[in-house]
Amino acid sequence: MSPEHGAAAATALTNFVFPNDLHVHWSLMIVLYPYITGIVAGAFIVSSLYHVFHIESLKPVSRYALVFALAFVAFATAPLLNHLGHPERALSMMFTPSATSAMAGFGYIYSAYTVVLILEILLIYRPTLVALKQTSSGFMQKLYGILTLGSDNVSEKSLALDHKIIAFLAAIGIPMACTLHGYVGFIFGGVKANPMWATPLMPVIFLLSASVSGIAGIILSYILIKTFTRKAIDMDCVRTLIKFLWGCFILDFVFEMLELFSHAYMATHHWEALRELYFGPLYGTFWIFQVGIFSVIPFVVLGILSLVRLPDIIVKVVGSIVSLMILLQVLLMRWNVVIGGQLMSKSERGHTVFHPEWLEKEGILVSIIIMILPIVFLFILSKVFPFWLEDDPAVNKQSA
Amino acid sequence: MMDIIQKEMSRDRRAFIKNVLGGTIAGSLLLVIPAGAMDMGNIPEQIPGMRDDSGTFISKKRKFAFIVDITRCIGCGSCCVADKNEYQVPDGMYRTWVERYVIDDEDNVYVDSPNGGLDGYQQPRKDIPHPVRDTFFVPKLCNMCEHPSCVQVCPVGATFQTEDGFVLIDDKRCVACGYCVQACPYSVRFINPKTKTADKCTWCYHRVRKGLLPACVNVCPTQARKFGDLNDKESEVYKILHQPHVVSVLKPGMGNKPSLHYVGLRREVV
Amino acid sequence: MQQEYRSKSYSHIIRIILILIAVVGVGVVVRAMVMPKSFGEFGHYRGDAVVDEINRPIRNGTNASCLVCHPYIRKMHMEGVHKTVSCEFCHGPMADHVKDDKVIAHLPKKQGEEIKILCLRCHNQIIRARPKESIKMISMPKHLEDQKVRIDHNCNQCHNVHAPLMWVNQAKAIVGAGEDSK
Repeated sequence: MSPEHGAAAATALTNFVFPNDLHVHWSLMIVLYPYITGIVAGAFIVSSLYHVFHIESLKPVSRYALVFALAFVAFATAPLLNHLGHPERALSMMFTPSATSAMAGFGYIYSAYTVVLILEILLIYRPTLVALKQTSSGFMQKLYGILTLGSDNVSEKSLALDHKIIAFLAAIGIPMACTLHGYVGFIFGGVKANPMWATPLMPVIFLLSASVSGIAGIILSYILIKTFTRKAIDMDCVRTLIKFLWGCFILDFVFEMLELFSHAYMATHHWEALRELYFGPLYGTFWIFQVGIFSVIPFVVLGILSLVRLPDIIVKVVGSIVSLMILLQVLLMRWNVVIGGQLMSKSERGHTVFHPEWLEKEGILVSIIIMILPIVFLFILSKVFPFWLEDDPAVNKQSA
Repeated sequence: MMDIIQKEMSRDRRAFIKNVLGGTIAGSLLLVIPAGAMDMGNIPEQIPGMRDDSGTFISKKRKFAFIVDITRCIGCGSCCVADKNEYQVPDGMYRTWVERYVIDDEDNVYVDSPNGGLDGYQQPRKDIPHPVRDTFFVPKLCNMCEHPSCVQVCPVGATFQTEDGFVLIDDKRCVACGYCVQACPYSVRFINPKTKTADKCTWCYHRVRKGLLPACVNVCPTQARKFGDLNDKESEVYKILHQPHVVSVLKPGMGNKPSLHYVGLRREVV
Repeated sequence: MQQEYRSKSYSHIIRIILILIAVVGVGVVVRAMVMPKSFGEFGHYRGDAVVDEINRPIRNGTNASCLVCHPYIRKMHMEGVHKTVSCEFCHGPMADHVKDDKVIAHLPKKQGEEIKILCLRCHNQIIRARPKESIKMISMPKHLEDQKVRIDHNCNQCHNVHAPLMWVNQAKAIVGAGEDSK
């Protein structure tokens, strides 16, 4: 993606890639998978900030964040199934998982987390769903009947029971969301053969960038949906989200830079190959885009938005733009780690190239479709689960 | 000079055949493989001690070792040709390959491996800017680690280590997630586009279990590749590994403990 | 709102628990059905996979197996300096030639320029990465000039490919020159 720097002639001559390293095996699909699970984990954390830590200003998005997480978690397996050579054997990961493989954890972690998320949504929304069942007809009524599990009981006793379970689910949901994305970080962090990936910081970096992407996704979609449906935006909520985004992003950016800085400082023999990579093929995507434009600028802008009291319209517009920039930063980070890490050959003497194609099996078009599907699903879910409290027919009786 | 080398090489070959005929296979002089075991007539055995008293092949706990002698490799690529023939490896994928190292007067190292050495090396490197002070070939193949990273990371148990120390791949369970390809420090694994599973050199397990040498060892004209059971104290590999040769493995710092050893390994080789 | 409800206050929880148990139950049943019997026999892998690998068809023979049926070449090859060169390197794998003790096809014999390319794969002095002691090296067309032979000659016009020094030594014997002379 960028011209080679340094002694280009010498690098070109001494460039040697092992014959089996020429092909990049983990391509766009594996960039998308951590991206999607990251957004899921981050959105869940937003919801938990209200449900567990009682940050009252986040109440307006607390239920929306869960539905948002559900929309994305439904498609988390899509890039993986597309990538596998034998997707029909994918269930083997659940039938015979290897105890030493981080990737084997996927089946159970994903299933368990999705169950927790669905249960939490059903229980939080239950009074709303019961009320909606009574006011709807035909297919929707049947659907609500299933979602309320055939129960119409919204007495104090029932809701109190629900409340206890919700509190429990939200509490275990946080470590589960962290595991859902943390283990992905360990999939990379545990590969000693790859000097860019093998660091204990990898799960931490992945988790922090997950939180960041989730919060940014909530901010951006909240502002956009409310604007397009001409509804009022709760600015206190937005401002709180921006503060949390800034805080998480500080941590995320610091850890990302710390990791690289430690490599450079200690300058073990792996640093030679890493340096060729970061100042060669990754110069553009990493230094110019991920760090320069999409990290430093949001870092400063978020700081200003958090610390300085600015008019609502500026917070809305700038907040949306900077959230989009953060979403792109996280996508770029996934690209640089997943694909960048594979560009380096294990010969420690050169790097290969990667050019995504539009129409290949794991190409750009498929990636765009996979990223649009959760948004479409979110739209469908909005017809079933009202996002906002002011649209909720059971708002007087809700327990959460 | 050539004659002395020739005598050496034929002596080793005679020793193998002598072992077979001389009855280190206790009591059994079977040179004929039972019909149906192999599709192709009678192939005399090459590895002693693979059968028990009744003549059936056994898989007791063995300690196979593969030795590559860099001082003998001439880069002919016979090994790559034999391997491709044995497994019908798709183009662009390599179970074994040969690298050429060129070192110039200023200690710059230039490495290449055109088509993995499959066509041999027919052209010298014409792009070296300084005078060349040294050149050599390095064959590469699966290191058959004692602590394989690939087995550790396989999520479904499709790659595994057998009792006799071979790391194999189960074509029927592999989902081609590619994790093993990422985890191998030696880049010997790849995803086979025909079977859509992971694939790698297996030290010709199907040949070894029938008493034959791996295909690449069998064809090497200069005996740069050697194979044997370390439990057999008469074997060449045992003798080499117990003498003060400078023998080393690739990337020892990874902790995988390869069973592939190199004689004459150079510090420029990764 | 009404105080009387058709369902109990906890019936939805019971139903959730039942659904989860059912899902897990289905999973356990499906697993038992699709798990290969030999899985776990020796370790965390399908035991039959080892047998599958052992039964893979062997495609390359060895020189000894070729020479069983080709005794004329055998004598030449085993006594010449090419005795360590594999037949199948030049001619192709045995499995393309013999199946079930019958000849199914004939293996190609290299012709013309192909022969020269094959010889130079090992003997080319211009590729300097070869250990000098292990193999005789020449460079073309210098070798032909040194031998005072027309430079459109192919290698196999002076060297029998199965025993490269056979004709050379015979020629020397005829001429009366010693073994060491050029």
